[in-house]
Amino acid sequence: MTVKDSHQLQSASADTDDEGTNQYLTFSVAEQMFGIGILAIKEIIQYGAVSSVPMMPDFIRGVINLRGAVVPVVDLSARFHRRQAEAGRRSCIVIVEMCEEGSIQDVGILVDSVSAVLEITPDEIEPPPAFGAGIKSDFIRGMGKVDGRFVILLDISRVLGTEGLIELVAPVVAAASNKTVSSG
Amino acid sequence: MSETESHPALALEGELNIYGAAENKLRILEFLSRAKEAPALDLSGVTEVDTAGLQLLILAQREAESMGTSLRLLDPSASVLDVLQLCNLTTRFDVSGALECNP
Amino acid sequence: MNLDNAQQTFIEESRELLAAMEDALLTLETTPSDADAINAVFRAMHTIKGAAGLFGLDHIVGFTHVAESLMDRVRDGEIAVDDTLIALLLGCRDHISSMMDAVDAGEESTSEDMLTTGMGLVASLEVYLGHPSEDGDATESPSAPSGSHTPAPTTDATGVENVTWHVSVRFDQELLRNGFDPLSFVRYLGTLGDLVHVEVIADAMPSGEEMDAEACYLGFEMRLAGDLTKGDIEDAFEFVQSDCTLRILPPNSQLGAYLDLIQDLPEDTVRLGEILVACGTLTERELEEGLRIQAGGAGASEEMSDDQPIQPLGEILVEREVVQQELVDAALDKQRRTRDAKTREARVIRVDAAKLDELINLVGELVIAGSAAETLARRSRNRTLVEANTTIGGLVESIRDSALRLRMVEIGETFNRFRRVVRDVSQELGKDIDLVITGAETELDKSVVEKIGDPLMHLVRNAMDHGLESTERRIKAGKPAKGTLRLNAYHESGSIVIEIADDGGGLDRARILAKAQERGLVQPGQSLNDHEIDNLIFEPGFSTAEQVTNLSGRGVGMDVVRRNIDALRGIISLDSNPGQGTRVTIRLPLTLAIIDGFLVGVGEGAYIIPLDCVVECMKCDPAETRCQDYINLRGQVLPFLRLRDLFGIEGSPPRRQNIVVIQYAGQRVGLVVDHLLGEFQTVIKPLGRLLDHLRGLFGGSTILGGGEVAMILDVQELIRIAVQRDAGAHAETAASNQTDLV
Repeated sequence: MTVKDSHQLQSASADTDDEGTNQYLTFSVAEQMFGIGILAIKEIIQYGAVSSVPMMPDFIRGVINLRGAVVPVVDLSARFHRRQAEAGRRSCIVIVEMCEEGSIQDVGILVDSVSAVLEITPDEIEPPPAFGAGIKSDFIRGMGKVDGRFVILLDISRVLGTEGLIELVAPVVAAASNKTVSSG
Repeated sequence: MSETESHPALALEGELNIYGAAENKLRILEFLSRAKEAPALDLSGVTEVDTAGLQLLILAQREAESMGTSLRLLDPSASVLDVLQLCNLTTRFDVSGALECNP
Repeated sequence: MNLDNAQQTFIEESRELLAAMEDALLTLETTPSDADAINAVFRAMHTIKGAAGLFGLDHIVGFTHVAESLMDRVRDGEIAVDDTLIALLLGCRDHISSMMDAVDAGEESTSEDMLTTGMGLVASLEVYLGHPSEDGDATESPSAPSGSHTPAPTTDATGVENVTWHVSVRFDQELLRNGFDPLSFVRYLGTLGDLVHVEVIADAMPSGEEMDAEACYLGFEMRLAGDLTKGDIEDAFEFVQSDCTLRILPPNSQLGAYLDLIQDLPEDTVRLGEILVACGTLTERELEEGLRIQAGGAGASEEMSDDQPIQPLGEILVEREVVQQELVDAALDKQRRTRDAKTREARVIRVDAAKLDELINLVGELVIAGSAAETLARRSRNRTLVEANTTIGGLVESIRDSALRLRMVEIGETFNRFRRVVRDVSQELGKDIDLVITGAETELDKSVVEKIGDPLMHLVRNAMDHGLESTERRIKAGKPAKGTLRLNAYHESGSIVIEIADDGGGLDRARILAKAQERGLVQPGQSLNDHEIDNLIFEPGFSTAEQVTNLSGRGVGMDVVRRNIDALRGIISLDSNPGQGTRVTIRLPLTLAIIDGFLVGVGEGAYIIPLDCVVECMKCDPAETRCQDYINLRGQVLPFLRLRDLFGIEGSPPRRQNIVVIQYAGQRVGLVVDHLLGEFQTVIKPLGRLLDHLRGLFGGSTILGGGEVAMILDVQELIRIAVQRDAGAHAETAASNQTDLV
């Protein structure tokens, strides 16, 4: 509970100086470094056994069985660059706990490799650039500077926010079922 | 309280209820086994008594009687008196100091 | 005592009592002399009053007390039941219900409105209490003093001279550990009446080391004075009724009753006699006499011959007071009946719904794990292992069924709620409506019951509002003046069917069609049969704005009802006969948790079809299916869907595909799949918010034995797609035929 609450606080205002919120899990997707506040992360599992779901947009890789719960897996590369990620030896699924409108949902995100947990203090974080990062600035909460490199700190509720995703998913589904109807 | 100096007294404090009953029982039995004569329980600090607490007081008195002495209740607090009065036990116990301390 | 929990229990039980009271009052409307119903109303008031006292809810105690007194008089036949009284008591019920809501919501004080309502009701109740009915003088003779009035002390030789109740109680040793404090009950009795004397019985307490400080050893013998009933006293102990032995003797009980008490109690007879004397319940002389009688001693009872064995105490009473034999029997009988009722109550265990859900989840996991083990066993080709697994599988299946049955509740309770609704609404509308309920004992999953209430309410109101005609119109149409609304439920092939039927005027098809065309729901020239027209009212966008009244037109249309039913994986349909009435049929799955499924493979994925819907499977003949979307199934046209196409699966299908024929609500469709993989016990996992938008095609997902996830096909939606496609195709062919003709 407290984990979620503090995460919400964190995403509400990036300045929150709560203990522990300065830690970020960093990982790479399509050769870019990203970071997510560790409080939102439930676990990291090896990539595998993803069952595909028909009529889903490309960035929904499928679903996995996470100890009896069915969890959707989002392909970040497809989400950001419209290029499906190649599953490699170091591919992982990061399970993120989303809390939206009172309901909790676990979502998996497919990443090329997980790097480390880093401490990035607020003064090392710069506001998102208007352009140039290669992904929508909405998704970015800030640019963390680590050893002279930039880490894109994701606003995970924006990236995975079901509101946004649903807008993308719903038309695909509708189109698919209509296509069959009209093609028949 | 002069009695407490001349005679052994065990002070029970706070809630005399089910939660501390097992521990209080051990304390009382241990105290009675040590106290040679005219043992007393100092109940001035008792804030709450439930059935478990009342049982302990009755047990204590019975044990004292079986040892050939009698138990006195010192300075019982309002909550103790309330229970004793409700159960018509004020006369069964040797209660001292009740009137002075309970306006 | 854990007050929060106890109070929650109190509120829940009170709500049940209030529901029972409402039922009883509605029964009284038709049969005003129904003694069971009168008792039920009395019991509700009485029990709520008693329990409310335990929680210090004085405003509820005060109010229910007045209502209880009134019901007491009704019970005694002093006040006759009429419609005004029933309306008043219904008002009281509602008021208590709102007071309960306030308590539940944790409101400390009573609102102004509520105070005014309460005062008004009390005033009306007082009017009744002040003016007994005309035949009151007939019952005024002091033949049967009711328990609440303390009769004057009698001088009868065997009557004991005191005007107090004697209450004797012994508790279960576990009581303290269960969170109850017997002293609080004693204290509460003190608020009901005047506790003349309390004697603590500590005889059962072992000494020293053997005494368990957390066990309850104390008992109480109490003398209680005051204007109260036995029920009042019993109620004080209601929460521990199964954990205590309670004996209550009314004022001026027969000596024998006290002797019985002495005999019943676990303590030594002489000691008990002393206790009763100490309490002041008995005098020394009475005790002596009693003990002498009990011993069959000479002197006191000459009528007993010496060679007779010692009589049981109960008989002494009867023998000495032969006249009262009937009274005693009646009392005993009544006591036995209340005891029976209580044991029946005790057989029902209240379980937190969350715990039940947890169990069902675990059983679900067990089913999945069991399937996995069975698959592995089969793969190992070890016969004994397969057999062992089959046995386990059978047991798991039984456990699953039993677990699901735990959640099953009868629909009757939901139906009964509508009795009040129908009563109130029919009055409001000025229509005379009879509600007939059948199939109330039909069971369905509690989670379904909870969600079916609102749609049902809407349908019932709709039927009363639009379905049933006004009395004048009914008479003009040669129908009985009283309209009938029927609620019926029954089980049919793994589903529960609920029907809401009225004998009203039926739907106005011309108007519905006109409106549907106006809203663009039906294309001009499109021909629909009667059934299709009727069901247009469930279409989104088909607003019945013209007919909006304050009842059913509260902003929601029938499309919302259908959406609610859809969400329960159910189906709703409507049949209407002009002039004869309308029947809405709702078909729902019995449970939302686990289904028997049929596993099929399409491309790389596996999908589940609910087994209930599978009619048959057959090989797919490529020659017949290559260029058309239907096959000839024993002379019938069977349209089919290619799931590969529907799901947009690339690659070429295997050479031999299969067709699974599915059926739902009378419509059949074939599904072309790659492989048939057999039956599979399917635990339905919700799709979650993100995937929820696939709903329509998939009703959920499940986890297969190997750990893979499989989607569950939504048969209803697949059939809809096939039918819609065919309708489109027909329209096209019809159009092309026309062009050909031209």
